[in-house]
Amino acid sequence: MTIDLWVGDMVKTLLKVSDVTKSFADVTALSTVSVDFHAGEVVGLVGGNGAGKTTLLRLLCGLYQPTSGTVQGVVDEQPVDIHRMREHVGVVPEATGLYARLTAWENIRYHSRLNGIDDDMAWTRTERFAKLLNFDHDLHRSTRGFSRGMRQKTALLRALSHGPEILLLDEPTGGLDVTSARMVRKLVRKLGDEGGTVIYSTHNLAEAQQVCDRIIIIHNGTIRADGAPEELMSSAGRDDLEEAYVALTDDVARTDAPAEDEGRIARAWRRMLTRGGGSVE
Amino acid sequence: MILVPLLIFPAIFIALPLFLQGEAAELSSYELTVEVQGELPEDLSSHLDGRNLIIIETDLLVNGTLSNPGGDAERLNSGVGDDIHAILRLREIDSNASQSWYYAILSDSTDELSLEAKTRTLDAILTWEADVINATLAENNLTRDEAFDPIHWDGDQDDADVASGGDLAAMGLAMFIPLVVAMWTTTAAIQPSIDLTAGERERGTMEALLCTPTARSDLLFGKWLAVATVACVSVLGQMAGLLFAVNFLTGGGLEAPSISTGGVLLLLLSVILFAIFVVAIELAVAVRAHSVREAGSILGPMVLIFIGPTLFAQFVNLQGIELWWFVLPIFNITLAMREALMGIYDPMHIFMWVTTSLAYAIGAIWWASKQFNREDLVESLS
Repeated sequence: MTIDLWVGDMVKTLLKVSDVTKSFADVTALSTVSVDFHAGEVVGLVGGNGAGKTTLLRLLCGLYQPTSGTVQGVVDEQPVDIHRMREHVGVVPEATGLYARLTAWENIRYHSRLNGIDDDMAWTRTERFAKLLNFDHDLHRSTRGFSRGMRQKTALLRALSHGPEILLLDEPTGGLDVTSARMVRKLVRKLGDEGGTVIYSTHNLAEAQQVCDRIIIIHNGTIRADGAPEELMSSAGRDDLEEAYVALTDDVARTDAPAEDEGRIARAWRRMLTRGGGSVE
Repeated sequence: MILVPLLIFPAIFIALPLFLQGEAAELSSYELTVEVQGELPEDLSSHLDGRNLIIIETDLLVNGTLSNPGGDAERLNSGVGDDIHAILRLREIDSNASQSWYYAILSDSTDELSLEAKTRTLDAILTWEADVINATLAENNLTRDEAFDPIHWDGDQDDADVASGGDLAAMGLAMFIPLVVAMWTTTAAIQPSIDLTAGERERGTMEALLCTPTARSDLLFGKWLAVATVACVSVLGQMAGLLFAVNFLTGGGLEAPSISTGGVLLLLLSVILFAIFVVAIELAVAVRAHSVREAGSILGPMVLIFIGPTLFAQFVNLQGIELWWFVLPIFNITLAMREALMGIYDPMHIFMWVTTSLAYAIGAIWWASKQFNREDLVESLS
């Protein structure tokens, strides 16, 4: 199945997030978030640590279930379960997640097989994008001992190997050197120019302004602004995107990053200890 | 990894005795010194010859009990001075017999050479004692059997056992197969269970894996199959190694156990159900852990939960056994294996352990599946 970019004169919606709240134990990571993602746009999710960017990305690829609200894909104008979109989505998690015993190509091939793609097709796609990333000579090297940049490139190629319409990237340039980060940005822009949909989280406003058609500012689990970079600056009454960001998020950022589900026994124990105003810590 | 279970029993049963034999031979090559206090009879002297001992004869200066070392203790355990490894004290006593003696061998039990000297001296004394007894009996016109074994078995005791060699081999297998299966299924499954769950979480590969279109149930099945394969190969290797070692020790005289086809099938079914149960439980526990270290610290001691009942069930009497034994988890499988190997086919027992084991296996799979669907599977402590 391929996804057309347009429905008549309208931009086609691929992913639809409606009134989504996501909580972990007592912490609300996202609060009544509604946002649509359209075909052919490069979207930057911008926010500080613990803002809810990764949570939103994990909801979009079906790793998390919303506490309330819905996250759906749209196929043939019909909403579908987000899990049905998996074959159309490529994901690069922040941790990259490569098997150290395998070569870069073996890592890529393993995932393309899980996506039901034959090796020849996966290799053709991988070779093409590897050349763009100047990585084609490293494909048969073991990933053990790869630099952060090489790992990131491998993960990107893995996510692209099955030809996804949507690419979800979690901090793809985090920890990369200048040259590698530039290559990744160029690839993302190229994918966007070729009609691909890319959603990626970043702390880097300049990068987002350079690469993205649309920026979504997430702060304390809510969407503070959503639009083209010029629109954000205009709505904040600033000439600079960084100043616009500060103006739009001008309240104290929460420090309580979403915690993992601590379990019923641990939660009951903590509540019992803190009932009298005490603290577990 | 696969070679380890295959080689462990041959290593224990063959290599270890060979090693011990080598050590004993090395010890017996030493020339040791024994001081004999008191008059050394000629017969005993001849028995001490040829044992690689240097004999030093001295007078017996002890009046009381011969075992009391007195001043000789320091000579033996100080390791200095005369280099004497043991002291034999002998005192002839008056009696009606042709010869009667008191003796004591002083030695240092913490010194290997001293112990060896004591062993060689004692061997010589026991041989001499047998000669003295025989001589006394001969003087009174008696044989050894008439004096010490007036009522004795006629023929070979083993010939009177109506059980066939195959039956005996099957009974022998029933004594250790359930234990081997329980131990190796549980221990062999630990490492792959951890590596494929908590390990994947820690390395960050789990998140990428869960983002593929492959259903979580399929991923879990793949992991289960990998762990179960490792566990089964380990168990088979262990059993092959054990049978080889036993056969080697019996000089190739081990008879094939008499187990019917039905017994083999029941045995296989019990092993499979046990493997499903154990691997699913270990995977579920490992999935809950946030790190490899946490998973290891839980699963390591948990092995006792599986091995304990198996060990206990080895001693349950199968004759007239109550039905409820076949309901208890782990016990039921162990007892089922024992019955299958012993050729006991009780339909009620079989029905009970098959249904309950199946239920436990399904329950374990359900629990593992529930754990594998947890949202926090993508989180890790690293």
